Amino acid sequence: MQPDAVQPGLGALVPRGHPAEHLMALYQQADAAAAAALVDLLSPQLYRFFASQMGSTNEAEDMLQEVWLRIHRVRHTYRPGEPVLPWVYAIAHRVRIDNYRKRSRISSREVGTDVLPELQAQTDQRTDLPPFDEMVAALPESQREVLVMLKVNGLSIEEIACATASTPGAVKQKAHRAYERLRSLLKPATPKQTERKGVAQ
Amino acid sequence: MTCRDMDGVINSRSRDSALPPEAAEHIGRCERCREVMRVLVEGPEIRQPSESGVRLIHGSLLRDLRPVRPLAPSSVFLAGFAISFLAMAVVGAIQLHAYGWHVLSVSARIVVFASLALGAGALALSMARQMRPGSKYSVSPNLLPAGVLLLVAAAMIAVFHSREEKAFVSSGLWCLSSGLKYTIPGAVLTWLWLRRGAAQSPKLMGATTGGFAGLIGVTVLEVHCPNLNLYHILVWHLGVILLSALGGLALGAAVEVVGKWRHYRSESSYRLRP
Repeated sequence: MQPDAVQPGLGALVPRGHPAEHLMALYQQADAAAAAALVDLLSPQLYRFFASQMGSTNEAEDMLQEVWLRIHRVRHTYRPGEPVLPWVYAIAHRVRIDNYRKRSRISSREVGTDVLPELQAQTDQRTDLPPFDEMVAALPESQREVLVMLKVNGLSIEEIACATASTPGAVKQKAHRAYERLRSLLKPATPKQTERKGVAQ
Repeated sequence: MTCRDMDGVINSRSRDSALPPEAAEHIGRCERCREVMRVLVEGPEIRQPSESGVRLIHGSLLRDLRPVRPLAPSSVFLAGFAISFLAMAVVGAIQLHAYGWHVLSVSARIVVFASLALGAGALALSMARQMRPGSKYSVSPNLLPAGVLLLVAAAMIAVFHSREEKAFVSSGLWCLSSGLKYTIPGAVLTWLWLRRGAAQSPKLMGATTGGFAGLIGVTVLEVHCPNLNLYHILVWHLGVILLSALGGLALGAAVEVVGKWRHYRSESSYRLRP
């Protein structure tokens, strides 16, 4: 494989050979160009990580700024040569948790993590499958985060386990529960769509 | 292939990778798996952060850019924790005298002190990993302090038996306070090593450090206390670990609250502004 080809499991944004690791080591040595390049390389991924879970782009922008402030503050804890993505996502994971708690405190009308929003009614009114964000919004926080890291950010199960201070087995279990939930959400929507298509024909 | 087997395929599948033949066959028959796969593999619409937001991040990081020394390898911190543990245990044994050591049989000494060493090693490893975000865990760090407490309790149950004891509470309280006397400096010594890292969850780090420091107190008590009553050891000796871990948890929660308060208070100065 070419050095600049995309590495499976690490998302479409991080090339093989992992320039982020090299950039991070230079950033620790106060290389301004490397710091700017690292921000450019990782910000789109981190933004998607937050936006896919929060639904609000403004909130995702705020959390992106927050995660870079924290990365800057604890940049000495990165050990050169070690995988950089689990390190970055561990910090992002904490920012998301803090933001979620802050939001829960502020808004008492927030829907609980284990309560499904009215996805059922929404999907019935649609002619197509609900988009990714709507489907993921119906999952509890922890399952949603695992699914976003896995399918949006392209992290592997092992990388997610490191980022969430968990074990690969626990991550697989969360992913399995998330898929089961998605299957149960998709189940009632499908026959209705088939019926509608049948009527249309 | 079942729907459960498909989970592994969905986990590893990206937009560009081909489906294995068995998975393709399952997808052909199972509409729900097909739809889940379609939704997840297609993923969300691609969104990008605003250019102005990224520029602000650049500006903020570059304004305060100084070289930093990367965190030392975990082995350095593990050695530091071991030195702290042994130093406090030796000081305790010298100050209180090793009466307990002499009344234990060789096999009892091996079981008791091996379980304490194993527990302390596991907690030290967890602390060293928590210092660096994104570390790998083979056991969930959330469950570890409780697991260590259970391990030590099981070792004590295997070695000691119930005996008649006249001053259960008064002698117990003496042991509890003596154990805590060595736990607190042990925790402070450990914290001197920990402060170099960046624990993502101060509560979890607090409980782990408390459990580790509690084990120092229990080690001192096992060396010193000649009371072989199982209930005395379970309640008053292991109570040191429990209290210490809970104290660490509370301290971690306080650190979190103070950190958030300081963060919100200075948010206007820290928050990135054009």
